[in-house]
Amino acid sequence: MNILIVEDEKALLSSMTDYLTGTGMHCDTAETLEAALLQISNNDYDCILLDIGLPDGNGFKVIEAMQEKDHATGILIISARNSLDDRLTGLNIGADDYITKPFHMPELIARIKSVARRRSSTERKALIFHEIKLIPDEMVMYIGEKMLSLTKKEHELMVYLINNPNRVLTKEAIAEHLWGDHADIADSFDFIYSHIKNLRKKIIDCGGKDYIKSVYGVGYKFTAE
Amino acid sequence: MKLLNLTNRFYIIVALTLLLVSSVFLAYRVIYLIDTETTEHMLYTKLRVEQQIIAQPQLQKVAFTIGDNIRVEPINRFSTFKVQLRDTIRYDEYEEGLIPFREMTYEQQILGEAYRISISQRLTQNNDLVSGLTITFLLVAIDIIACFYFLNRYFSSSIWRPFYKALDSLKKFDLQRGGKVRFEPSRVDEFNALNEELIKLTEKVNSDYRNLKEFTENMSHETQTPLAIIRSKLELLLQSDNLRPEQMEQVHATLDAINRLTKMNRGLIMLTRIENDQYAEEELVEIGALLQSRLEDLELFMQSRGLSVETVLAQDVSVRMNKYLADILVSNLLSNAIKYNREGGKLIVSLFADSLMVSNSGTPLSIPDHRIFERFKRGDSPDSVGLGLAIVKRICDHYHFFLSYRYDEDLHRFYVQFPKERRNNA
Repeated sequence: MNILIVEDEKALLSSMTDYLTGTGMHCDTAETLEAALLQISNNDYDCILLDIGLPDGNGFKVIEAMQEKDHATGILIISARNSLDDRLTGLNIGADDYITKPFHMPELIARIKSVARRRSSTERKALIFHEIKLIPDEMVMYIGEKMLSLTKKEHELMVYLINNPNRVLTKEAIAEHLWGDHADIADSFDFIYSHIKNLRKKIIDCGGKDYIKSVYGVGYKFTAE
Repeated sequence: MKLLNLTNRFYIIVALTLLLVSSVFLAYRVIYLIDTETTEHMLYTKLRVEQQIIAQPQLQKVAFTIGDNIRVEPINRFSTFKVQLRDTIRYDEYEEGLIPFREMTYEQQILGEAYRISISQRLTQNNDLVSGLTITFLLVAIDIIACFYFLNRYFSSSIWRPFYKALDSLKKFDLQRGGKVRFEPSRVDEFNALNEELIKLTEKVNSDYRNLKEFTENMSHETQTPLAIIRSKLELLLQSDNLRPEQMEQVHATLDAINRLTKMNRGLIMLTRIENDQYAEEELVEIGALLQSRLEDLELFMQSRGLSVETVLAQDVSVRMNKYLADILVSNLLSNAIKYNREGGKLIVSLFADSLMVSNSGTPLSIPDHRIFERFKRGDSPDSVGLGLAIVKRICDHYHFFLSYRYDEDLHRFYVQFPKERRNNA
């Protein structure tokens, strides 16, 4: 997957690049509007991560340029929390989604994959991990040929896990993904635990392998290793 | 009590007391004067009687009376120089009633003969005079006092008007709405000085408030990127294959702290955004539907704590406000009621035509009731940042919703009343 990251904060740019590269994505970077416009005119991307406030201009120009060029590219706005207007404007002129700083990296990955999948016409909509096949927007999962139904939260969790394979996922990041701002109300870690227990059981009962590994004290890792 | 009424009341009390005292004094004084005058008059009559007896021989050695007032009778022997003076009541034929008299009786030797002479003088007229004078005095004095009272009222209220205007202006003083105060110039130097000081003071308050707001705003804005960097670096670090478990836990603990900071940051940003009126878009939000949907989202949390939930939702209650803020208001109230509930406790959500009440079981607060809406006043929940209710309060203030809290019958009750002008059903 080809990604363009447009972000003027070097340290953030480098960690995003490292993290994304670590998941097997190919990343180009741009620190200025000019560089970003040059990159999109020369390359095709599956997804562009776009910071709106750039030193030499407004990131909206990138969205406008993309509208003229190519509709297969997903655009994910990275915005500051207090610039709601930027987010709304961005969505209105053609961005697909936004994520606010500071964000969890696995969350970023999940958003990128979801945006890219929505945009792409060629790629199959199903999420596949070895024998597991997950159909987005349908509360079902296939283990080989066997179909099993999932609750809404189990489905969301499964999508999140399949989108972030081989990564350590903290309980906090998972909780925030599943419950947003409500995550800190109570016992959300217990819920994650019981959701994961149920998922494991369902998958194993259908003859699947246990890919969800606990990382003691920290969270979980979805891996075939 | 108003200053004007207080001074007026003081004046009136003093004036009436003085009036009472002086009218009593006046009455006694008049009585005394008339009294001496009457006695003097009788002494003069006494002298005239003697002179008449000496001058007219036919009056000598006989008893006679002049009118009702003077009676002279000869007596055998002169026995005393004493002059008897007494006040008495007598029947008067002309007046057909009892009339007070003063009677002077004495014995006297005139040209060698002894006489007993009585002189009497009516006192009625004197009494009438006393009461007439006193009443006249009272009427005049009351007139004067009343005049002064009304004049004083009139002048005082015109003198104090700038003061009351200034007070009004101060009452309307609202930091969140620009914090403007306007005073009108007065002829009274003290008021002008007071106004000047008040203007200085409010300007200072305003600038302090602005600075504080700017600081919070900048601080929360500027920390977002560093927080994003720290978090991304740590999450990256977490993915390293060669971390030992204890190192991993340390990274995780640091991430956890970053999460807390992030939440705090978000809360503060939201508070400043509401304050800066950055959620300007308004629409009619159906509160019942919103509550229902948030309760569904939170169902898992309520179940896990074994809460018994009672909802009474009135139909068709819509409030004109920002949709996002409505969501935050409802969510924060509900999550607060879940978070600080006791295991197996109650959660009651009642939506009425004009208000919303969210109640939950729990132990009484350890802080005073009114401080519950302050920033960073959180209960014993370690995960909580302590901004949820502060945000609720800010949203309510922003829309002039009446927000109150009380604890009774083992329940924490949060009550939000929607003002008429913001409701669809008013």
